[in-house]
Amino acid sequence: MNADTAVDFKKEAAAPHQHDLDKIAPSRDERLFLVLSIFIGVLSGLLVVCFRVAIEWIRILTLGSAPHPGQYRLLLAPTLAGLVVAALVQWFFPAARGSGVNQTKAALYIYNGYISFRTVIGKFITAAIAIGSGHSLGPEDPSLQIGAGVASMVARRLRLSRQRLRLFAPIGAAAGLAAAFNAPISAILFVIEEVIGRWSAAVLGSIVLSAISSVVVARWFWGSEAIFRIPQVTLRDPRELTAYAVLGVAGGISALVFSKALGYLRPRLRSLARWTHFFQPALAGLLVGAIGFFGFPQVMGPGYGVMDQAMHGQFAWQLLVALALFKILATTLSFSSGTPGGMFAPTLFIGAMLGAAVGSFEKHYFPHLTGTIGAYALVGMGVLFAGFLRAPLTSVFMVLEVSGNYSIVLPVILANTIAYLLSRSLQPVPIFEVFTRQDGLELPSMEEQREEHELHIEDALRPVHVPILGGSTPIEAVSATLSSANAPALLVQLWDGSWYAMSKDEVAGAAVTLTGDTPIERALKPDRAPMLFPDLPLDNTLHYFPRWPLLPILNRANKSKLEGVVTLEDVLKRYQDL
Amino acid sequence: MAVFELQPPLTAEERLHKRKLIFRDLISLSGLFAITVVLAVLTWFLFNSFARHRQELAQRWLARGQAAMADGHPEQAVEAFRSALEYDPAQRQTEIKLAMALEAADRVVEATSYFNTLLETEPGNGIINLELARLSARQANKSKAIEYYQRALDGTWQGDGYERRRAVRLELARYLLDQKDYPRARTQLLIAAGNAPDDPAIKMQIAGMMEEAQDPENALAIYRAVARQKPSPVQSFQGAGRVAYSLGRFALAREYLEQAVNHPDFLSEPDSVRTPVRQMLADTIDLLALYPESNLEIRERADRILHVARIAQERLQACSASKATPVASLADLAAQWQENRATLTPLTLARDPQLEQTIMNLIFDTEKQTAQACGAPTGDDALLLKIAQSSRSVEEK
Repeated sequence: MNADTAVDFKKEAAAPHQHDLDKIAPSRDERLFLVLSIFIGVLSGLLVVCFRVAIEWIRILTLGSAPHPGQYRLLLAPTLAGLVVAALVQWFFPAARGSGVNQTKAALYIYNGYISFRTVIGKFITAAIAIGSGHSLGPEDPSLQIGAGVASMVARRLRLSRQRLRLFAPIGAAAGLAAAFNAPISAILFVIEEVIGRWSAAVLGSIVLSAISSVVVARWFWGSEAIFRIPQVTLRDPRELTAYAVLGVAGGISALVFSKALGYLRPRLRSLARWTHFFQPALAGLLVGAIGFFGFPQVMGPGYGVMDQAMHGQFAWQLLVALALFKILATTLSFSSGTPGGMFAPTLFIGAMLGAAVGSFEKHYFPHLTGTIGAYALVGMGVLFAGFLRAPLTSVFMVLEVSGNYSIVLPVILANTIAYLLSRSLQPVPIFEVFTRQDGLELPSMEEQREEHELHIEDALRPVHVPILGGSTPIEAVSATLSSANAPALLVQLWDGSWYAMSKDEVAGAAVTLTGDTPIERALKPDRAPMLFPDLPLDNTLHYFPRWPLLPILNRANKSKLEGVVTLEDVLKRYQDL
Repeated sequence: MAVFELQPPLTAEERLHKRKLIFRDLISLSGLFAITVVLAVLTWFLFNSFARHRQELAQRWLARGQAAMADGHPEQAVEAFRSALEYDPAQRQTEIKLAMALEAADRVVEATSYFNTLLETEPGNGIINLELARLSARQANKSKAIEYYQRALDGTWQGDGYERRRAVRLELARYLLDQKDYPRARTQLLIAAGNAPDDPAIKMQIAGMMEEAQDPENALAIYRAVARQKPSPVQSFQGAGRVAYSLGRFALAREYLEQAVNHPDFLSEPDSVRTPVRQMLADTIDLLALYPESNLEIRERADRILHVARIAQERLQACSASKATPVASLADLAAQWQENRATLTPLTLARDPQLEQTIMNLIFDTEKQTAQACGAPTGDDALLLKIAQSSRSVEEK
């Protein structure tokens, strides 16, 4: 935890205790939560618009209005910017380093949703300088962190509870990402897939509110197609699916190469002496600038314009392949050097180039078979998203959302699935988790969380192996039945359909204190066995065991019918078997 | 329900706390609102300033691209148009200019790909289809080129669509001529001629292309139509004379060629044009001097027939003598001349129009057969061969 965090927690200590608030204004947090979600959305939207404008201004000032090979400024701008950014990060804004996604996750899971004002400002300034001056990084992930930071500041300002404060980080993250990407559904899904890790009804409404608010603000400025113009996308011929499958394979392999390159270079650069950290972004900037200087200035910066051009068929497939490869190299250099900036835009760039390359190739050699190049570029973006960022749900919805056309759902799912499975089988650890481990943090794996299998009662259910008797059965008969069955307990069904699980000791006690012809129901305690059904979570059973020797599991349609029973041993064994 | 649950009453101190809390929240929310408003205003100013600058840059790069194209630097134009589109993306005209610059820079694959993408969004755009036709033509894809040309003709055009379509049709005809696809070229030229305005330059162009398309009849009709106009260009007389000459309509050819030579603009024509016209006129005059025209006096006609008959016989004798072994066709002709020797007098010819025709046919056959056996003739024989090749149309006007 840094100094800012400590200062803020001191302030928090001075605030009224939560139990006081619960008494004098019990619904205050809940009401503020929704109102603040809208405020967070609007503020994030405005900040992200400023952020993107700042990037564009810096780009024009440093690289000129039309960068082209052979301009010395292509070498100078990213190098000098690297020096400035490194100094800012090392001396003033250490938390601004990196993309922003993992930092937001760390804020959520480690720092109780706390992101300092300094981090927000630092991220804004350093990422804008780096991206604007040509480093091969994108503004989406920083926007996500800026949004989360805004949310954190607002929540702290209103002195909301720590629990609420933690929830605000993903709300702001969704708002920031939605404004940057101009796609609220994708932003919401990404935050759920990559930041929260699981669907949570508690924050979903607020995430939606903030994401929509921020997108409304962003669209007010940029229009509905803020990032690139979406061409007509259709699936014309089922045979095209072969080409999309090829795209999926190409995307999966590219994602693997990209991940491996980052996984290799980043820790090595980080482990170098601290003084080198002041020069690493500059060196990376020089190398990225050299790529631009010697022929491929398109790889510098986020490259939205180039994506737009690729989508509209302005490049030959050979150039598109070259751009994809050089972008992987440039982004690996920029990101590994610790330059603040995101991975979203480069991922989309590489995907768009690969997709457009496949589309252009097909169009050139099989002109009657292929659809639009734009459709391939769009699907390519989703493919890299699925393969590299490993957010399969977001990748599908992102393409559908930005294209506004559901006719390409089949190619998207096919290509994304191939890329995802290929990438996953060859690179088991997702890239964000790789970064987390490299940074020495222990954050939950979102991919594992998504795929966690929740156990249900039916998973530990066993057939009824104890005697079942009616409530009017005499105690003498009950004792005899229990002895002959040699069971540890028995189940008693009462006249009102309720159940009672009676242990051997309980029966023995009743036999001592009551006469043998007394109905067993008169020996029972007033409570009854809980009503449990096979589809309920298995952990629901745990707190009943101290009281009951076993639990009858009922049929939902007919509560007098038993589906089976569970014992504490069954439940524990099931968990141990996981 | 919770709403109706009785809450324990708040103490005076708690009520005070609650009021303070509400007041503080209101202040905080008001502050948040004020920050939002201030940030919105700042963003608005920043964004508008940026948007204006983008527009300026778009215009600047568009102008540079156009200038580069005009100066014959398509590579520079490509970069300039790309930059213009980056700052103002949805400009169809700039996109088309970029694609044309790519084409001009010989980046055919990129240009084709880009035009195809533009076509996806605007399949009926005339200029996009036209450019794709040109690219297909450059790539020697004839069927695609013709298909795109046809789509361009059927497509929409900005400005004077009528004029642009005619230009496209003539371009298609030119392409078909280059491909030696004369029947299709003639079809396009006939349509173009039918729709052409009363503009001598366009009609002359169409007539010239019809000549190339091996359609001299229609070419002559257009040249003559233009030549009838006042003032008429010297080229129309030249063209009419040339085509009439090629059709064997020598009387008509002489008429137009004389008008061409006497036209005041003829002297300003280059030598390469004047010399063949003069030669053609001289040939026509000589040729008509040999030809027994129908409007001549009977006696004069008979004298001319006898004169050309002598020329033909001399040609036959010379040709037969040059052959080491007798040629059957020449021997047959010699036999025919021998049969008609007695009739070759002015009087018999004047009396018998049928005989006139028979002798003329024999003369034509002699010139044709000797040309085949002994090669192209010269002098009067050459003129007679020309008459023989279009004997029915010499006097046609």
